[in-house]
Amino acid sequence: MTIEAGAHQRGGRRIRRSGLVVTVAAVLFAAACTGSDDDADAVDAADAPSAVPSVVATTGIWADVVSNVGCEDSVSVTTLIPEGGDPHSFEPSLRDRETMDAADLVVANGLGIEERLVDTLEAVAAEGVHVFEVAEHIETIEFEFSGGHDDHGDDDHDEGHDDEDGHDHDEDDGHDDDHDEGHDEDDHSDHEDEDGHDHDDEAHEDEHDHAHDHSGGDPHVWFDPQRVAGVLGELADELIHAGADADTVNRCLDAYRAALGDADAEIAEILDSVPADRRIMITNHDSFGYFADRYGFEVVGTVIPSTSTGAESNPALLEELAEIIEHEGVPAVFSETTTGDADIQALATAAGDIAVVQLLTGSLAPAGQDGDTLIGMLKFNAHAIADALG
Amino acid sequence: MTFLTDPVGWWIEPFTSNAFMTKALAGGLLAVLTTSVVGTWVVLRSLNFLGDALTHGVLPGIAIAFIVGFDTGLGALVAAIVMVSAISFIPRISPLSEDTSTGVLFVGFLALAVVIMSSGAGANAGDLGRFLFGSITGVQNSDLVRQVVVAVVAVGGAVVFYRAFFVMTFCEVQAEMARMRPRLTHGVLMALLAITIVGSFQVVGSLLVMSFLIAPPATASMLVRRVPLIITTAVLIGAVSVYVGLLLSYHHRLAGGGSMALTAVAILFATMLIRALVHALRPGPPDDALPVQMLADSR
Repeated sequence: MTIEAGAHQRGGRRIRRSGLVVTVAAVLFAAACTGSDDDADAVDAADAPSAVPSVVATTGIWADVVSNVGCEDSVSVTTLIPEGGDPHSFEPSLRDRETMDAADLVVANGLGIEERLVDTLEAVAAEGVHVFEVAEHIETIEFEFSGGHDDHGDDDHDEGHDDEDGHDHDEDDGHDDDHDEGHDEDDHSDHEDEDGHDHDDEAHEDEHDHAHDHSGGDPHVWFDPQRVAGVLGELADELIHAGADADTVNRCLDAYRAALGDADAEIAEILDSVPADRRIMITNHDSFGYFADRYGFEVVGTVIPSTSTGAESNPALLEELAEIIEHEGVPAVFSETTTGDADIQALATAAGDIAVVQLLTGSLAPAGQDGDTLIGMLKFNAHAIADALG
Repeated sequence: MTFLTDPVGWWIEPFTSNAFMTKALAGGLLAVLTTSVVGTWVVLRSLNFLGDALTHGVLPGIAIAFIVGFDTGLGALVAAIVMVSAISFIPRISPLSEDTSTGVLFVGFLALAVVIMSSGAGANAGDLGRFLFGSITGVQNSDLVRQVVVAVVAVGGAVVFYRAFFVMTFCEVQAEMARMRPRLTHGVLMALLAITIVGSFQVVGSLLVMSFLIAPPATASMLVRRVPLIITTAVLIGAVSVYVGLLLSYHHRLAGGGSMALTAVAILFATMLIRALVHALRPGPPDDALPVQMLADSR
């Protein structure tokens, strides 16, 4: 069965031949449009021959922590997610994959916060690169969904941890439950939890399962300096294992742990100006659970009802939050630098034109600005929160 | 311009010296093989919108499976089957056209996925984005095995049903008269499309699957006329897109999935422009604008 094309048949063969030329031309065109790639070789620090181990950190926050524990250039740190980038939505390139594969150690936050890196991190680990997912080694707060928390009326702000016992941890094996010091609300100067080292190794072995276990805890662990201090020992072990000089790292570790302890005390002091009945936060996405837990605040609601920035708000939730704001007399709500603030601005307007205060969440401030280190960022936020609520 | 001055270093070495590049290439090539074979019929039958709808229609299935901790591929397949069935069911019980029902289900399923991911259950599950763009940087052997299975099914199905697809596409009336059951044939094509999308989204993402379904076959249809040639050319163009896209991502730190999709689309536009230019400069009969399906001298 043939369908005649009549007059058009004539040009057929010629066009077909020119077709090949066209395709080749198109491919060359596509390649030619790529511009210069002179910078291609300059970026890969991991390839540089050096005695110090190369560590790739996903976020600038953990890169800062790694460079503090591996201070005095005892490690070379590369950051994957560019400054100001949202760890929830960063998409890696194949060059990033190469950087990770070439590293002696990859440090990620974990618990799925690097959402579009989950599969890649898994593949990197499968290639034999050591991947240390920090949050897997920290006692996490189980994320509890409720747009506006039901218990916002009660003033018992220091429950934080206690009401966690009711929840079922899906990943108990990774946590050491008697590792509870540092969560005592009054003991802000406690930073000697040496036993950060004796976490069992289970969390390591089942890293693969964890990557797909999304019922786990809130990943935003870096907002509690005590929790960060608690995991530094393990991080230091990882750096030494990767080839960093043990004496240097141990010296750095002690200094940084002390610095985090001091920062913790200082932050508590900054926040002293906020009276107990005003320690109420409404944030953009659910990222301040650990801050609230550490400093006796309560996150009564979030505009995006998720620990990820990738979800969406809804009018009923915004209305509920506006009611809470009016009922409790909340003076300010908190937006963040890495995500848009349209919804939270609308909420603030609807709730009587209260202030919208920007906090640093998933990314450090640009280098040279206030908040360009983890400690700087935590202090920056503390000042902003104290000013807004105090 | 190192791709000219150091051709081996730019074009070859990234693949020979990095296992992950080889795996990414394998994942991408398996994806384009499948998408080009199925996508050619999608393009020839003008089912692009349906294909687009289906790539988003799988999302609620993925989202639910993801939250429940089930295999996301299976979730996607169930969602795709539900969607395809609904699209053909709605016009039978209502005056709505298939186009309209496709559109409604498209947004309906997409909205469902957004609602699920923003709900309490999905609150810790993250972002839909990773399904839309996939993870070419994290291709593992298990992904490749899945893709091989899908490629075998899709290519095998396309070979077995070649005649049926051909008749259905170019002479639907004859198909009806010859009792070739065009509805069944259409169903088979939809099933192959669903399998193609499901089999490839984990590696290249559901949005990227769409660009591979459409761009290479569409480019090929501008260059050659016979269906087997269109399929072959589409596979080649798709392969070039994957190859160049991976290298662009590698050399220029660009997102992997996006680079491949963009290359496929860039080749389409470049082909279109050059072709138009060639025709404008050449004296003789005007551009041969006849749709490809009328030039069916392939039998």
